[in-house]
Amino acid sequence: MNRSRGPRDMDPEDMDPEDIDSPEAGAGCLELCSLHVRLGGRAILAGIDLVVAPHEFVALVGPSGCGKTTLLGTVAGFVRPEHGEVRYGGRAVVGAGPERAMVFQDDAVFPWMRVRTNVAYGLKVRGVPRHERARLVDEALDLVGLRSSAGLWPRQLSGGMRKRVDIARALAVDPPVLLMDEPYGALDMMTKQRLQTEFEEIFERSRMTVLFVTHDLEEAVYLSDRVVVLAPRPGRVAETLEIPLPRPRPAEVKLTPEFQDLRRRLGRLVEAAEAAADVRGAA
Amino acid sequence: MTAPTRPVAATTSVATTVTAPPSALTGTAPAAPAAPATTTARAGASRPAGAGPGSRRRSWLRPSARRLARRALLRALVPTLLVAAWCAASYGGLVREIYLPTPTAMWSAFVDMRDALPGALVTSVGMTLTGYGLGLALGVGMGLAFAYSQLLRDLLGGVLDFIRPTPVFALIPLFLLWFGIGRGPQIALIAMGTSVVLSVTTLDAVRNVSPTHIRAAATLGATRRTIYRTVVLPSIFPHLLGAVRFSAAAAWGLDVAAELIGSQNGLGYLMMTRQQYIDTAGVLVVVVIYGLLATVLDRVIVLVERPLTAWTTREQPSATETAFRAG
Repeated sequence: MNRSRGPRDMDPEDMDPEDIDSPEAGAGCLELCSLHVRLGGRAILAGIDLVVAPHEFVALVGPSGCGKTTLLGTVAGFVRPEHGEVRYGGRAVVGAGPERAMVFQDDAVFPWMRVRTNVAYGLKVRGVPRHERARLVDEALDLVGLRSSAGLWPRQLSGGMRKRVDIARALAVDPPVLLMDEPYGALDMMTKQRLQTEFEEIFERSRMTVLFVTHDLEEAVYLSDRVVVLAPRPGRVAETLEIPLPRPRPAEVKLTPEFQDLRRRLGRLVEAAEAAADVRGAA
Repeated sequence: MTAPTRPVAATTSVATTVTAPPSALTGTAPAAPAAPATTTARAGASRPAGAGPGSRRRSWLRPSARRLARRALLRALVPTLLVAAWCAASYGGLVREIYLPTPTAMWSAFVDMRDALPGALVTSVGMTLTGYGLGLALGVGMGLAFAYSQLLRDLLGGVLDFIRPTPVFALIPLFLLWFGIGRGPQIALIAMGTSVVLSVTTLDAVRNVSPTHIRAAATLGATRRTIYRTVVLPSIFPHLLGAVRFSAAAAWGLDVAAELIGSQNGLGYLMMTRQQYIDTAGVLVVVVIYGLLATVLDRVIVLVERPLTAWTTREQPSATETAFRAG
């Protein structure tokens, strides 16, 4: 997202742009090191190891109950791991941090703020000066095509538009890492596909690293560089599938044989992960 | 009237064959069609197309306006009947004067109390509003502090859990004993009584703030205190309204109770003196004044609150209402 970098980037947690571009620099990496999470006495995640390179788009898929959302919550800093840690830029993550913005499955737009104020929220709490803030908010609204709705209340928007506000609010702070938890799960098919294409373009132009949880395999293949398949009870990495489709990816990519082939292979991997877990559960 | 109505009847006759027999509509005798023609004109007026010359009597009211007028009539119906019953019972001598005074007696009681009323009014309103204001600040403040601090909950939670359900009125004798007669203890009583419901509601409302909203704020870089100010406070606002209004009404009641026992001034005191003279009309006048005061305060609260909760959807008809109307 070729934006001129503002004063908020003086934040020590923020990476130098040069480092982010080169995958070799471990500095911009998101690392999950043998992550174990236990909630209410039950093991939810058992030894997740995953390294996400800077500007990589990784999708997490898997049968329900495999701990996808917990995994994302741990990376966001809401869930404390029992063992292991999440590292960003070589430093262990403790609690929620502004370098890891998140888009939620539920509607997270603040209903008591107008669209513009919602999008400005992250910038405001970080103390970005008013002028700068207005410019960045306009940019973010333009990215999701909501400039003309800036003055509306969230209740006046459709579900798809509210999701766009959510995404714009996260994009406005220009986060190095964006965590997305089934962001399009609650939307209808048409809206979902439009937002996917839109987000693919946004990702293309940005420097973000994205960790994206979904149960929609087509969405996973379409958007990501790599799909990580999780196996359930307890959640662990079962398989990884590289998605070598070139970018940019217009929506028509979904009709190509390459795409269909990847989609089928991913489907088999997920089924296998599920079956293996059932065998283990029965044993 | 017959000449202009006939075209209307003719145009609407297709849709209203059941209400008007065709034979009557086609009638050629000038006198005969009068009755059926009016019925069809009325049926025609219920749809927009019916605003022809014949429905002149109704055309000035659109269907929506007519619905409003009907609702206004319905709303006025019961109060009118009650006043009528009151007049009948009191003037008619069905009920003795000391139980139910006549409107005339109430008016003269009001005139009698003319000199004492303004002072009493100022005292009572001042005391109630001061006590209520304190109770509001105390209750909401306590609820917020409790929600924020685990330490505070551990330290004071038990004590307050015991004090809260204790009836405030039961404390009146103790207040009299400890603090004597005067405005201070009365204001304290009102503040205590109103803060109870507010603190509980505030604590509950904070607990019900959407975790997604809090997490979203946290991932955007907000600190705990910022989240409290920018997410928790605005979210609990609409949920507090009920308690704010309820405790405002309770404040007047607490004022009456406080004045009945330990006071030499104010509306409640005035009411007590009237009661000693067995002046039921005077007592009723004070009751009506309390009722008016409470209504005014309630309206003011709603007016102040409205712009602050403009983001909620309450101004639209509720889902249940719409569902019932459709059904």
